[in-house]
Amino acid sequence: MSADPDPPTLLLVDDEERILSALRRSLRREGWRILTTSDPHEAVRWLEHEPIGAVVSDHKMRGMSGLELLEAAARLRPEAVRFLITGWPDAIPADRLAALGLRALIPKPWEDATLKALLREALQR
Amino acid sequence: MTADRDAREAETVCIVVAAPPEPDATAGTLAALRRLGHDVRIERAHDAERCLARVAETGADLVVVDGALGDDAARVLAALREPGPPVLVVTRDAAADAALETFRAGAADCVSAGEDFEDVLPAVALEHIRAWRATRERERLRRDARALRVTLENLVEAMESGLLVLDADARVLHANPAAERILGEPQGALRGRPIADWLAPGAAGLSGLARALQAGERVRGAEAVVVRSDGRYVPVGLSLAPLDAGGQRHGAVAIFQDLSELKQLQRQVLQSEKMASIGQLAAGVAHEINNPMGFVHANLFQLEEYLADLRRLLEAAAGLAERVAREGAPELQAAASEWCALAEKLDGEFLLEDSAKAIRESLEGAERVRHIVQDLRAFAHRDDGEWVMADLNRCLDSTAHIVWTMMKHSVVLRKEYAPLPPVRCLPLQLEQVFMNLLVNAYQAIEQRVAERGGAGEIVLRTEADASCVRVSVIDDGVGIPPDHLHRIFDPFFTTKEVGVGTGLGLSTSFDIVRRHGGTIRAQGRPGGGTIFEVELPLSAPAPASTS
Repeated sequence: MSADPDPPTLLLVDDEERILSALRRSLRREGWRILTTSDPHEAVRWLEHEPIGAVVSDHKMRGMSGLELLEAAARLRPEAVRFLITGWPDAIPADRLAALGLRALIPKPWEDATLKALLREALQR
Repeated sequence: MTADRDAREAETVCIVVAAPPEPDATAGTLAALRRLGHDVRIERAHDAERCLARVAETGADLVVVDGALGDDAARVLAALREPGPPVLVVTRDAAADAALETFRAGAADCVSAGEDFEDVLPAVALEHIRAWRATRERERLRRDARALRVTLENLVEAMESGLLVLDADARVLHANPAAERILGEPQGALRGRPIADWLAPGAAGLSGLARALQAGERVRGAEAVVVRSDGRYVPVGLSLAPLDAGGQRHGAVAIFQDLSELKQLQRQVLQSEKMASIGQLAAGVAHEINNPMGFVHANLFQLEEYLADLRRLLEAAAGLAERVAREGAPELQAAASEWCALAEKLDGEFLLEDSAKAIRESLEGAERVRHIVQDLRAFAHRDDGEWVMADLNRCLDSTAHIVWTMMKHSVVLRKEYAPLPPVRCLPLQLEQVFMNLLVNAYQAIEQRVAERGGAGEIVLRTEADASCVRVSVIDDGVGIPPDHLHRIFDPFFTTKEVGVGTGLGLSTSFDIVRRHGGTIRAQGRPGGGTIFEVELPLSAPAPASTS
């Protein structure tokens, strides 16, 4: 694995820590810089200050929903590719989902291969 | 209006006097009649037509006809014969007397205008007025009684509730058409039969009836079940009132309503509430399960990759240890042998293989959970209010998948699906039907396995022809006794053989299939078990007929 001196940055947000560590395990060898947080407000701060190329967020979180977070992401860092990952897609209003400009809605549980393919495509330069 | 007239009549006596216009001729008659009192109203007429008109107008109590009117007198008598008021004829001479003979038959009485006329006429008049009024009163009472009877009969005939009049032995004395309809008997067939013939044994109504008959107690709105001679069960609301006369018990009146439709509605409400809460629960559960399943699934997947790396690492280590044990420096050889011994003792090869197997099996389990949750979610979120074109193979399959986990230990599921044209239907409701049939089949197999052992098989078969699609659920379970087969769709037919709680399921299924314009049938399977067949027409009924 050749270390990229300036790897793309991926932001993962989920209030369930175990989801974050499972995602990190899946993507460990992709060579990206991976930021994870269970606090959506911290995610917003990172979106302001970090060169984030893609963001994957859970929907149902305490304090802020994934929809709100991704709407903030579209405002703060429009170039970041946005993904929503959720176990309950039925709960999300279809019109807001459409307005969000999502690259994809990732179901939980996710297929590792699909997830990697989506993110590689999003983060390639 | 009639009442007013009755009241007027009660006070005033009305007499019509028909006599020639000459004042002299009638003076005596009028004077005599006035002696009857102030409340006598006297109307005068000079010929038959006017006389009869006055009689009709006033509802006269008495008509006094002067014989001097001759033919007119005869016409008055003829017209007022029988139903009319009494007619008194006043005769004046012997010659007229003779003529009178011809019409005497129609007259109530004849009074001669001779001596004592003014005393005799009022007395005779009064007598006839009283007799006439008494006759009219009797007739009125008879008429009223008849009208009341007709009203009562019409009421009993027309009422929606069944009505039975029972004797002291609870035998039917009288039954109205509704009673015959609810009990499913032809007209007149109920008379003389004991009511116990229809009440399910042990039903609340029966003991209530016995109580009502023996102790003279009332029963109000008890729920009972009627068993008709065609085998159908009909829920009824039953009221009983004892019939007493002179302190003696003569039997009872039973009034009952068919509660089938009401019960049906209640069941539908209950069912849809149940489905709604199952839906909510399923959606919530699906979400809660999917989160942990997310990382369990991902971690297992990752572990599989890690394990492949670990295997390579371990194989390299084993190779290294062997080489060192063989060729290394003596002190290293000892350490390498120690490592080899440890690897053998712990059965490193087995650990690797079995870890891989454990991970694979767990992944399979995780996959299965994911599938179940998906099905649950689909089940919960299917809109049951909408008619859509759907593939029944898919409906059947997704339902089978939901119940499959429950039954897979004791049942083999064989799917014989033929390609089906899409059917216009309410998919969620049909899935409920398939669910009921599958659960029934499973329970029948469980029962047979418990009794006689062995394994079970459920065949799901779909077929289509030009006009309909057919879905069959075939089990080799305990089977349904032949005499129960035609009753299992009845809402209140529940026996141990059919299984507690499934009786309603089948009747709900029946309703759903009927709403789709289809049929559902059960028959015995040769060699034991049951075949349920659901047949749906390719041209579904208009949605309007479903609400």
